[in-house]
Amino acid sequence: MIAMFRAVLYSQWKWSRLIVVLGTVAAFAIPLLSLQGAARADRGALQTQDLLRAVQSWGTLYPLLATALGLLMAMAAWAADHRGRHIHALTLPLARWRYVLLRFGAGFVLLAAPIAAVLIGSSLAVLTATLPPGLQAYPIALAVRFAFAVFVAYAVFFAVSAGTARTAGIILGVIAAAVFVQVVASIANLDVNLFAAAQTVLLLGPGPLAVFTGRWMLVDV
Amino acid sequence: MLKSRTLDGACEGQATVILYRYTGTRSRPLFHGIDPRSPIPLYVQIAERVRLAIATGTLGSAAPLPSVRQLAAELRINPATVTQAYRDLEDQGFVEIRHGAGTFVRELAPGRRARERTLQALGLVRKLLAEARRSGVSLAELQRALEAELGVKAT
Amino acid sequence: MSDAIHIERLHYRVGKAFEIKELDLHVPTGSIYGFLGPNGSGKTTTIRLILGLLRPLSGRITVLGDPMPEQHARILGRVGYVPEQPHLDATLTVRELIAFQAAFYPRWDRARAEELVARFELDGDQLFGRLSKGQKAKVMILLALAQCGDLLVLDEPTDGLDPVVRRDILSALITYVSERGATIFISSHLVHELERVCDWVAVMDDGRLITEAPMEKLKQGTKRLVVMGAPAEIVNPPFRVLTRERTNGGGAGENWVVGDWEPGMTSYFEGVGASVRDVIDLDLEDGFVELLRSFRKGGTRR
Repeated sequence: MIAMFRAVLYSQWKWSRLIVVLGTVAAFAIPLLSLQGAARADRGALQTQDLLRAVQSWGTLYPLLATALGLLMAMAAWAADHRGRHIHALTLPLARWRYVLLRFGAGFVLLAAPIAAVLIGSSLAVLTATLPPGLQAYPIALAVRFAFAVFVAYAVFFAVSAGTARTAGIILGVIAAAVFVQVVASIANLDVNLFAAAQTVLLLGPGPLAVFTGRWMLVDV
Repeated sequence: MLKSRTLDGACEGQATVILYRYTGTRSRPLFHGIDPRSPIPLYVQIAERVRLAIATGTLGSAAPLPSVRQLAAELRINPATVTQAYRDLEDQGFVEIRHGAGTFVRELAPGRRARERTLQALGLVRKLLAEARRSGVSLAELQRALEAELGVKAT
Repeated sequence: MSDAIHIERLHYRVGKAFEIKELDLHVPTGSIYGFLGPNGSGKTTTIRLILGLLRPLSGRITVLGDPMPEQHARILGRVGYVPEQPHLDATLTVRELIAFQAAFYPRWDRARAEELVARFELDGDQLFGRLSKGQKAKVMILLALAQCGDLLVLDEPTDGLDPVVRRDILSALITYVSERGATIFISSHLVHELERVCDWVAVMDDGRLITEAPMEKLKQGTKRLVVMGAPAEIVNPPFRVLTRERTNGGGAGENWVVGDWEPGMTSYFEGVGASVRDVIDLDLEDGFVELLRSFRKGGTRR
């Protein structure tokens, strides 16, 4: 099993090298860039406000990066298989679910690099910055949250990617149907708001996708 | 020409696997022209060629026949076919299969070779006559053609 | 189990278009089994069913003694497969593909893989996607052979390749059979190639298996007859009538093509007041074409 995992890891690395490297660089840079204002040792309350605003606006990049990484890694995991119409994978001598697990695990192992980069970058940023009084730094919490977001994004897109073209078609079909219903409802002046409902359920309610919303603050009160 | 090489670590922990390397895929002249499309089974064709070679002395006593693996790969035919040909030859007393060493032509009694040549000649004549019959060539026409070709008068 | 592949009453369908009905197929262990049939007859579908890529609607498939598709993981560890279209990752090199495959098969023979790379004159560092058609086929065969399986399933492995590559591949396959005694299941349109190597042959058309027999029996048993004075209706012949038509140029002669023929059956014709003027041997390709023609005219499988 270990030999198989190594083989899968190698091939997945070959396909997603660029994504991992770019993602790691970005993940390292964002925390540093977000705290670049704090290198100056001003202590005024206005500067605190500016700093927090800077951190918050840079912070919006974290969920975006997490989503992008999850999406691209998931696609990279399955692109080659899709091209060969899965015949190679299906004729390997192991159970289907095991193979899927190997691919999933390999992708997540590779994603450890950008996650580590967030941790190292934010720790470094915090160490080299002089924070105004009243502000705390949360590098570890940030990194953990980022890790979780990456995991969720990767898991979701992996599941979609691993499916057959038919499954992807079904998902798109459901979305298209929802759009259609929404359009019809608004023409008929019915008070139906499917997308708001979906948003509430998926993003705002307690659940794994909630990790993407809200503010991503490396430094906060 | 063939080279052999012994390698370790082959399938299922066998101690050695002997692989043959071919420097060319030219069929040896003895089996040149084996016809898979012919109604005569391939193993019969192969056995016939060997018998002919033995009868004419091309294959001398104790001469080795190519191994099953070698011949099958060169001719691109089923190894079972070659095995069957060799077994038939062994049953007929022409060769001896020595396990692990290969197949070798037997020492034949002197009369045997001559008998085999006679049989081969008979076979050729039979084929000629059958072909003539099929094409509607009469016996007289055939004889005349023989004379013309050989330049002698046959009585 | 004396059969490497044993299919019983297989039924499979996709939509209304295509159906495999009542398929019975037996591949004896250690045989080289040729699978013939026109395009669209269901050969590739049957192969996919054998490998557990598709699930039958009813019937039983047993491969190397275990049921498919239930035990597919275990069975596939002993089966080497070469599909019609290259199915390997185009972005990996030949060496990387070999290393990948090696990790999944406990019986992998690294020496054989190296030997075949050399024999097939492949460049280990070339990307699979950049290889020529023949080289891709060689790589797929190489992987299947180095797995050291007991069964090789090949779907048109040499079709569309140049003669030199075909010879190399065929030689490698035969060497493998000689050394391992494996069973080979090979589907192809190159009838003459199959004629050289197969000891069993099966013909498929339109989702049905028309015939399955040892190669010699099929060849010896399929003959063209020139028959004089045969009655219009014949009852219970000991052979199988495939086609029957008047000869060109008039006369009372007819050209018959028969199957399951045995020498001595000419006496049947004498019994019905006819005579056989000639018995002509057919090679596998002719026999195959006549079988198809007769099947499509409405004959049934025997």
